[in-house]
Amino acid sequence: MNFFKRFAQNRGALVGLVILGLVVLLALLAPFLYPDSPWRMVQRPFLAPGEVSGFWLGTDVMGRDVAAGLAHGAWVSLLIGLISTVVALAIGVPLGALAGYFGGKIDDALMRFTEFFQTIPNFALAIVLVAIMEPSTFSIVLAIAIVSWPPVARLVRGEFLSIKHREYVEAARLVGQTHRDIIIKQILPNTLSPVIVLASLMVATAILLESSLSFLGLGDPDTMSWGYMIGAARTVMRQAWWLSVIPGVAILLTVLALNLVGEGLDDALNPQLARAR
Amino acid sequence: MTLLSSVTGRLTAAALSLAVALPAVAQETPQSGGVANVAIQPEPPGLMLPLVQNAPTQRVAGNIFEGLLRYDAELEPMPQLATSWEISDDGLTYTFHLHPDVTWHDGEAFSAADVVFSADVFLRETNPRTRAILDHVASIEAPDDETVVFTLKQPFPAFIQAFEVGTLPIVPKHLYEGTDFYNNPANNHPIGTGPFEFAKWDRGSVIELDKNPDYYEAGKPYLDKIYWHVIPDAASRAAAYENGTLNIMPAGSVENFDIPRLAGMDGSCMTEAGNEYFNPFAMLWLNNREGPTADKRFRQAVMYALDRDFAKNVLWNGLGKVPNGPFSSTLAAHDDDLQPYPYDPDKAEELLDEMGYDGEPVRLLPLPYGETWTRWAEAVRQNLEDVGINIETESSDVAGWNQKVSDWDYDIAFTYLFQYGDPSLGIARTYVSSNIAKGSPWNNVEGYENPEIDKLFAAAAVENDADKRQAMYDQIQQTLHEDVPLAWIMELAQPTIYRCNVHDLITTGIGLNDGFKNAWIEQ
Amino acid sequence: MAYVSLILGRVGKAVIVLLAILVFNFFLIHAAPGDPAAVMAGEAGATDQQFLDDLRERFGLDQPLPVQLWRYMSGVLQLDFGYSYRQQMPVLDLILDRLPATLLLTGAAFCISLLFGIIAGTLAAMRAKRPSGSIIMGLALLFYATPLYWVAMMAVLVFSVTLDWLPAYGYSTVGADYTGLAHVGDVAVHLMLPALTLGLFFMAVYTRMTRTSMLSVSQQDFVKTARAKGLAPGVIQRRHILRNALLPIITLAGLQAGQMVGGAVLTETVFAWPGIGRLMYEALMQRDYNLLLGIFFFCALLVILFNMLTDVIYRLADPRIKQGAT
Repeated sequence: MNFFKRFAQNRGALVGLVILGLVVLLALLAPFLYPDSPWRMVQRPFLAPGEVSGFWLGTDVMGRDVAAGLAHGAWVSLLIGLISTVVALAIGVPLGALAGYFGGKIDDALMRFTEFFQTIPNFALAIVLVAIMEPSTFSIVLAIAIVSWPPVARLVRGEFLSIKHREYVEAARLVGQTHRDIIIKQILPNTLSPVIVLASLMVATAILLESSLSFLGLGDPDTMSWGYMIGAARTVMRQAWWLSVIPGVAILLTVLALNLVGEGLDDALNPQLARAR
Repeated sequence: MTLLSSVTGRLTAAALSLAVALPAVAQETPQSGGVANVAIQPEPPGLMLPLVQNAPTQRVAGNIFEGLLRYDAELEPMPQLATSWEISDDGLTYTFHLHPDVTWHDGEAFSAADVVFSADVFLRETNPRTRAILDHVASIEAPDDETVVFTLKQPFPAFIQAFEVGTLPIVPKHLYEGTDFYNNPANNHPIGTGPFEFAKWDRGSVIELDKNPDYYEAGKPYLDKIYWHVIPDAASRAAAYENGTLNIMPAGSVENFDIPRLAGMDGSCMTEAGNEYFNPFAMLWLNNREGPTADKRFRQAVMYALDRDFAKNVLWNGLGKVPNGPFSSTLAAHDDDLQPYPYDPDKAEELLDEMGYDGEPVRLLPLPYGETWTRWAEAVRQNLEDVGINIETESSDVAGWNQKVSDWDYDIAFTYLFQYGDPSLGIARTYVSSNIAKGSPWNNVEGYENPEIDKLFAAAAVENDADKRQAMYDQIQQTLHEDVPLAWIMELAQPTIYRCNVHDLITTGIGLNDGFKNAWIEQ
Repeated sequence: MAYVSLILGRVGKAVIVLLAILVFNFFLIHAAPGDPAAVMAGEAGATDQQFLDDLRERFGLDQPLPVQLWRYMSGVLQLDFGYSYRQQMPVLDLILDRLPATLLLTGAAFCISLLFGIIAGTLAAMRAKRPSGSIIMGLALLFYATPLYWVAMMAVLVFSVTLDWLPAYGYSTVGADYTGLAHVGDVAVHLMLPALTLGLFFMAVYTRMTRTSMLSVSQQDFVKTARAKGLAPGVIQRRHILRNALLPIITLAGLQAGQMVGGAVLTETVFAWPGIGRLMYEALMQRDYNLLLGIFFFCALLVILFNMLTDVIYRLADPRIKQGAT
């Protein structure tokens, strides 16, 4: 249980894990805590936090419960962060693996392809993709995945390049294992730790990206996400600062927690580096 | 519904205190000098008003170009390039006498030939709305340099409403005749007859207009300069008004939620005047062709389900008006006796049960024009879901919205339409079956077909007798009110917020779009 | 000679990537619902079929897509980026008009973030075990996790509206017509808030990277050797650790410098900065195809140029790298 011990040594990572756990809990409990739609207009608009009991975070411009929005938004933000990261991994890992394993022309072609996507400014591409597919959870997830897979591909390729000539891989090759088996069973498991660290950071970036898109009005109109809440509160920031501060802090804490956890994972999974700190 | 009434009470009180804060109409003599700093949003694509008809272009270029007439708050014509005019008793001949001392900004003399060229050649080619109006005109002639005569094919009483600067702007013939209008170099430096001249345009930042020193109305304009500031973010615009950089905020440049705060600042005034001619009317297109919306009972249920007062009070700060039917209340032809659909969710559910609505999903397409419209769509969705309608919101940008509405690819869609002072100009287009055609988001998009309505609109447009005309319009309003071809949700207010030392900013029913000819700043 | 052919090879590849981006974006943009004619007709508040047909014919949109692509690409090959339908100006003029503002903004943000990021990161690395180091890292993490647009809004609220120290928006004071030094000062004052908010995020990135990089370098053998030789700690920090730790940061910074230009949309929107990011967003919303493609072309070009520049700097900083390594 070396891994957990090392992870626990990083106090920041523990704090991050606790915060993240709370956010996940909030997301999971949302349907039970606030069974009604978070869009329902339930009280006077612009109630300050605590002004009326039962609405401990107040109400928004239309009299919707901010706490309900926050809880349902946790679910949406985490889900968009997770799914888009999974999709990005699903694109980036195979491409990186193939490029690194086979090298030569395949590597060249795949890296050109990766470079191509890295040459178009990320955020601009995400905006264009969402605008073209029209804002919906699907298009947002896809757009975020499309702009965030290249670093995964590069990382995995690098790992494959350094591992593929190790003895145990050569041995597997001599035994006559297929390329597929070598890639999936021999090399891939050994590249996992840096990929996991990167993935935890990607979830954080995806949450930020989704909130930026929502801020520009490119969010899914049917889901209450934190980015949507900030975007909608922007015009009333002067009258009701809490409407933009509350979801803003929620995003900040979640992203912070994910980063702390990522660092902890990095320490725990790459012990050589951890000792350096 | 105590919750709601308390909202209403609070907001109405705020609106009242604003009204009281408005100063009495300034009686002092105008002073020359000073600069207007005005917000413009979005940045206009060009300033050649006769070619580009979008709202920001009209707002800026209304200072550069002029029409033959202006209209007061009752929409009665007032002189501009034409000093006087006569309409023959049979309603077929319109004679305009032009101002004798007008020159173009480049120094050339203005004459009747410019008017004939503008109406008969230029606008017929470039402006679809004017083109439709000019279909009623048989000939346009200039018997001398200061007289223009329009001869109509049949009487068209609304014709006198069509001479404002946005509908019939006068173009310099000497620069445009025989050229490719769209690629004329003058488009980038528009030449008009108006009180202000084009000076400079830093794209993305500011448009600069200078006082026209040779303006034909002595002493006018009073302002030395107008700067139109391009600031894309509403909060930044508000900040710029607060710190004094801007002194005029036209309607649409302030988010609704921010209006009470900005209007309530010391030395800040607000007016809803200048809205009479356009009177934007917010509606929901209901697709009459297919799906649940094809059923009249469903459409009536939508009217009963909408809490229009909530939208007005919460989203529009109590400004604007809940309409009683298809005609806006500023129109002379408006039927005051029509009873508006009340907010009655039970009645709506009853109607839905009666038609046997089975929960089939209904798509809702909001108007992508900023936060208020987005919030409005959320409120409408909530209202409709409350009576059991299964709503799916579709999101799109302006281009996507245009495409979907023009292609009839929607179930319920937000829109708003201008009234243009007369039912035959602004309203008939939405209901007559001859105006059903894909490709435009501004015609009979809902696909309503009723031969009786077609006949009545056609007859009313060319009826010279006011009483007979009114009888037909009453009939039209009652029929449409019953059929609900679309849902009428609000007559929008167009509040202008400005520093109180700016006087006579709005002096016509066309508002800021009519230019700043009379505006002056108290030093 | 090998060096020259390497450069030529890279330029060749870059040209291919650029053209591929144009083709890719061309189809992407044309897949969006609505076209410029529909947008303009919609904005006009009135339209008929004749109006739309006129517009589409003038814009060449009545042609089949491959023909449009062919026309556009053959124009680009002659460095003609076409005409903006909406703004009625050549695309190149529009872009060159806006590019300086964006380069100024991103350049300033880049310098600020790199300079302060490296300083803060170095300090944090030197004080890795002390509270001050943790505080620096905590702040960096905080900036890293805060949405950029949110910081921008808060900055306007505090520094422009409440304190009235700095202008809230724009590139220069409208109507002031400053010249010479006064103009430079005026622009600098306007630049302050947007550059700082844009730089903040990247500053956090560089702070974290510098620290990590320095700590890992300080464990390497040559540093241990230097220490064993009895060199002063300051000299070791500067000459050995920092210099080597900077290499990965240069790579990252080079990648990001190009990205920043296209990524400044949010900052430019909040601060009404008349740059290319905002122009891009507007062009997208208005389906101004030629303009949007032109902007993508220039953004990609900048990314490629910065990548090449990074390579050159990298080679200068680390003579061990031989040609051929990528």
